[in-house]
Amino acid sequence: MSAPSLRVLLAPRLLAARTALRRSRAKVAILTLVTAAFWSGSFVFFERTLSYFQTITALGPMLTQRLLVMLFVSFFAVLVISNVVTALTTFYLAPEVRLLLAAPIPSRRVHDARFIETTVASSWMVLLFGLPAFLAYGVVYHAGPLFYLGTVATLVPFLLIPAAIGVLVTTALVLAFPARRARDVLVVATVALAAIGYLTLRLVRPERLASPSDLAGFAAFLAAFEAPAAWYLPTTWAAEVLIPLLGARPGEPLFYFALLALTAFVLYLASASVVQRIFLTAWSRAQEGRTRARRAPLLGRVLPRLTRPLPRIPALLLAKDVTVFFRDASQWSQLLLLGALVVVYVYNFSVLPIDDGTPLAATLRDVVAFCNLGLAAFVTASVAVRFVYPSVSLEGRAWWVLRSAPVSIATLWWSKFLVAFLPLTVLGEVLIVVTNRYLGVAAGLTLVFMATLLFVIAAIVSLGLAFGAAYPRLDSNNAAQIATGFGGVIYMVTCLGLIAGVIAIEAWPVARLFWQRVGASPLAPIERTLVAIAFGIAFVLTATVTEVGRRSALRSLAALQP
Amino acid sequence: MIRCVALRKTYGSVVAVDDLDLEIAAGEVFGFIGPNGAGKTTTIKMMVGILSPTSGTVILGDYDIREAPEAAKAMTGYVPDQPALYDKLTGIEFLRFVGGLYGVATDVLEERCNDLLEEFGLVDRAFELIETYSHGMKQRLTVAAALVHRPRILILDEPMVGMDPQGGLALRRLLSALAASGVTIFLSTHSLAVAEELCDRIAVLDGGRIVVVGSLAELRERAAERPDLEPFDSSLEAVFLSLTGTTGGRV
Repeated sequence: MSAPSLRVLLAPRLLAARTALRRSRAKVAILTLVTAAFWSGSFVFFERTLSYFQTITALGPMLTQRLLVMLFVSFFAVLVISNVVTALTTFYLAPEVRLLLAAPIPSRRVHDARFIETTVASSWMVLLFGLPAFLAYGVVYHAGPLFYLGTVATLVPFLLIPAAIGVLVTTALVLAFPARRARDVLVVATVALAAIGYLTLRLVRPERLASPSDLAGFAAFLAAFEAPAAWYLPTTWAAEVLIPLLGARPGEPLFYFALLALTAFVLYLASASVVQRIFLTAWSRAQEGRTRARRAPLLGRVLPRLTRPLPRIPALLLAKDVTVFFRDASQWSQLLLLGALVVVYVYNFSVLPIDDGTPLAATLRDVVAFCNLGLAAFVTASVAVRFVYPSVSLEGRAWWVLRSAPVSIATLWWSKFLVAFLPLTVLGEVLIVVTNRYLGVAAGLTLVFMATLLFVIAAIVSLGLAFGAAYPRLDSNNAAQIATGFGGVIYMVTCLGLIAGVIAIEAWPVARLFWQRVGASPLAPIERTLVAIAFGIAFVLTATVTEVGRRSALRSLAALQP
Repeated sequence: MIRCVALRKTYGSVVAVDDLDLEIAAGEVFGFIGPNGAGKTTTIKMMVGILSPTSGTVILGDYDIREAPEAAKAMTGYVPDQPALYDKLTGIEFLRFVGGLYGVATDVLEERCNDLLEEFGLVDRAFELIETYSHGMKQRLTVAAALVHRPRILILDEPMVGMDPQGGLALRRLLSALAASGVTIFLSTHSLAVAEELCDRIAVLDGGRIVVVGSLAELRERAAERPDLEPFDSSLEAVFLSLTGTTGGRV
């Protein structure tokens, strides 16, 4: 009897993907459209940027080449993190590993199958984000077919290197910690890195680079990217293959390609060799559970007291959800991103040039103040997609506990609604108040914004529960993963549509109130009525969306099967 | 105490449960057996109100599960076939949560939770996260949670799966004791020995329909009328195989 081939080992994933594609054609069509739109937008952005750089005589070529290195550096960093996280699942946490271990399959072949799966699962992002950029380079430089062939050839070892590093790091992690703890460590580290990266990028104030007078800063910015272009990094080798093929400058593409390919091969062999020798030991270690919990954990003691003022069912659900939230690293780590988002949001307003007394500054302040309503609503929707939308899915297979209890679906909905609505309202309203203070917006107008936002948040939460119940992923216990699914994307698009609708309805009345404030033109009685009607329409729209969302959620929740 | 009236569930053209009629008296232990895919779990899900029937209904006590679901559920305890619980809660937190959902008063809940943890051998692990529990421990915790509000009806779907022999024995004793105290028990099981030991009456379900219902003696009589049953083989297993038209040859 011969051992099963790689094709047999990869068949379950391929067949599952094929079935998913066949079953949900509408979903595939929408995703294809979204991807095509993203690719087109991304291509246009890179093409314009690179073309613009080419017009800067002295710095242009250096900038485009530096940008290519930066692209490879960013991709490589994300690929290493992504591969480590994916390898943990594919090698040590996936339930089918047990089956593979029990089957008469050489461990080398198990490694190869899992390695391919890890690489593919981790690298789709590079294809999605990278291809339009590489294509734009080819178009701007009028590159020949050799560049495109070279890009494909370079990407293969470029993707294999982080995959091998991912498997090796994961195996070391699993030997050091139990798999569940290792996953928590990875999740928190990844989210913290993303939050720090986001904060750093914003706080260095890249907008200063647009100022032609700030050449010193510009030079410093370029210099900052000298370090990652070190000769010993695969990112530099990859760029050194493509830059000569673009015809940007002479180089030794074959040498750097050989370096890249050889490194990928050696790392792959190292990964295979390590896994072959210690896979069973590492996998056995990965099965160990957490250490024992302390007696009467703090959350369990404190939460029932804190939730006592609430009605029974919302209090129970709140206590349960908060407890689970703070014990699940994939959930609480999202707070790091949220914190970064809020800091950057408020910081953006603090650095706006609105105090120089010029008419332009006053206009800018008014425009920004108006946009602030939409921006605060957008931030709230971004938070909702990570916290409200997954809340139904996170009930998981334990959904039967709530459904078989003597609690109506309507009560469950209200509980989930309140649990999400209250903190989101506090967040949104605080953002509006703080940023409007920076902008010097009148108290009356701030109150109008706060009232509008209150209704918008109610609609956002209601939509979150509706989409969350319509696209449940009861098998997934990763909130971030749930949020990035198809339903999450549709939910976010719907929220953006709602926010745009409310802003469009309130644009004229808010503009009139601004003008009245600066004394340009007082409101006529008929205008007062029209302003009131416009606000009324906005409230009716949000209230209607809230109710439609509620009804849709109730239907989906009633049909939801654990 | 439990009445299924023309209960039916279809998925497109597939009939999962076909006009099922049943009546179970208070304090009775009723066994529900049948081959895989017979419709047992679907029936149970409709009984406890987590799946809507295509037609027909279930009356629990005096309450119609479709018209007064909360009242019907309040008197029922349910143990599903898979012990899927909130992994990030501890055992005692889960029991408190379920007790709260059923409106058990706070002052009695704590004592009841401790008693149940003791009874199901989980007291040492009460403060550990459920994710660290074995399948059998989760199963025991699920049964404990089903009893936290002292239900008058207990509906169990394959409760013995994954339990060790001690756990299985303890559960059988508990079910007998509950039945003796007047609790109505509806037990779906693949273990014919369990059904034979515990049940007052047994229904055999096949293809969504009840093939036969009655006491073990009545089932034997019905099976004896069939020519394929060995004359002296009166075990429930032989009766079951005969009534469901299988010979035990398939896996």
